[in-house]
Amino acid sequence: MGFFDALLGGGKKLKTAAPDRLFAMTTAYVAMDTELDMKTTGAAGIVFQPLATSDFEQILRDTQELLAGTAEETGTALESSDDEHGYRWIILRDPDFEDLVVAMNTVSTELAAGGYGDRLLAAVFAFEQKGRRVHFIYNYKRGAFYPFVPSGGEQRRDSEAEMRIKAQLSDEGIPFEPELTRWFPLWDIPL
Amino acid sequence: MANSKAVFKRDPGLQARMLLTMFLLGLLYVGFAAVLFAANTGAVVMAVVIGLFALAQLFFSDKLALASMGAKEVSPEEAPGLHAMIDRLCIQADLPKPKIAVADTDVPNAFAIGRSQKAATVCATTGIMRTLSPAELEGVMAHELAHVKNRDVLIMTVVSFFASIAAMIMQFAFFFGGGGDNEDGGLPFIVVLLASALVYVISFFLMMSLSRYREFTADRGAALTTGRPSALASALMTISGAMQRVPETDLREAERMNAFFIVPASVKGSIKTLFSTHPPMEKRIERLQALEAQLQAA
Repeated sequence: MGFFDALLGGGKKLKTAAPDRLFAMTTAYVAMDTELDMKTTGAAGIVFQPLATSDFEQILRDTQELLAGTAEETGTALESSDDEHGYRWIILRDPDFEDLVVAMNTVSTELAAGGYGDRLLAAVFAFEQKGRRVHFIYNYKRGAFYPFVPSGGEQRRDSEAEMRIKAQLSDEGIPFEPELTRWFPLWDIPL
Repeated sequence: MANSKAVFKRDPGLQARMLLTMFLLGLLYVGFAAVLFAANTGAVVMAVVIGLFALAQLFFSDKLALASMGAKEVSPEEAPGLHAMIDRLCIQADLPKPKIAVADTDVPNAFAIGRSQKAATVCATTGIMRTLSPAELEGVMAHELAHVKNRDVLIMTVVSFFASIAAMIMQFAFFFGGGGDNEDGGLPFIVVLLASALVYVISFFLMMSLSRYREFTADRGAALTTGRPSALASALMTISGAMQRVPETDLREAERMNAFFIVPASVKGSIKTLFSTHPPMEKRIERLQALEAQLQAA
């Protein structure tokens, strides 16, 4: 956002998605699994704004077909649902974490290729650590991850645990979001 | 990811008018500053003092505005729905999380304040949260976040700086009755006074039109963030309809806050467009419909 953009009231479009860094999770997962005992739940999701335009639904269908094609080899299952905030989730299930990341990447590149890359809100990976749910949220606009640990109860999160996880994984090549004010929670993640 | 469907065409006309307005204001203010310096009286000192006031205003006006509206900051536990909605809009608009406040009044309105993106507060009234559907409310909050993103509070404060100096000089003139004979060789006080009056009047109209342009841009920004221009258009219709029905006393109370509101508190026809901070509702809805058409055609 440059000076003139601010002066003239903003650019003409949303910030486009940063270079895709989803694969950083694949490399980091080894350490997460072995050192932190953080296991994938076998589920991950992409959340985005569904636009009410004619070709958007078509692009979604094409993406689902494409994934169904590769799913025969990998066994990745796909479902989609709308949440109470009017956003849509594409949820992928695959016990193999690497396949899961590949499928997540397919969905986001397909949406971006269809011209809807700036509608992507976040990608979410779900993990289980000592009986507790840990999410890794990828902010497409920022190209950065942050951990999100809901602690039960209405909109409460365990910030201490989140910051600890970031510190523990600081050497694993995950591009973490540096600004804590941008560690936006996502409540009621359907994973 | 270079191709992107939800890109609205630039509005070169709007941007040109906005630039022209800012240029005219700048020209006016440079001229006024020259007169102040030429006057070589206390005017420069006064300018400095008012500058400090403006700075203080920039830092404290948000708290004052919130207090005058009876708005209270709310935690995620107190307003989970509103927080979750704004969290998502912030991700989409690439903004840090602002403070969120709620004002307990039936007037359906919302506003954004704060000198910077980091120090911003967005406020919704309980009235607007009751009146609008979730998608409409989302459009309105995206509009307020667009004001934050475009730094409108800062821009309007800077722009009104010289206008407030002019206003001050005119007020002082009543107390000093044109005193200060120019023994030190400056301009006569009457010249400064006339210049002030002129600057005040002209800058008033320029500022109003600038404010209206910023409203259009914020509508546009909101449409971009949510991808749903029609939801905001529908919200504007709902609010303006409800505005005419809410009790008079509340309206009067809210009048001071107009500049920050999504919709001015007194909607009576729109004959006085020149004097108003917001463009007429029909114009805003018209433009949002044009954006929706672009989106569907893409």
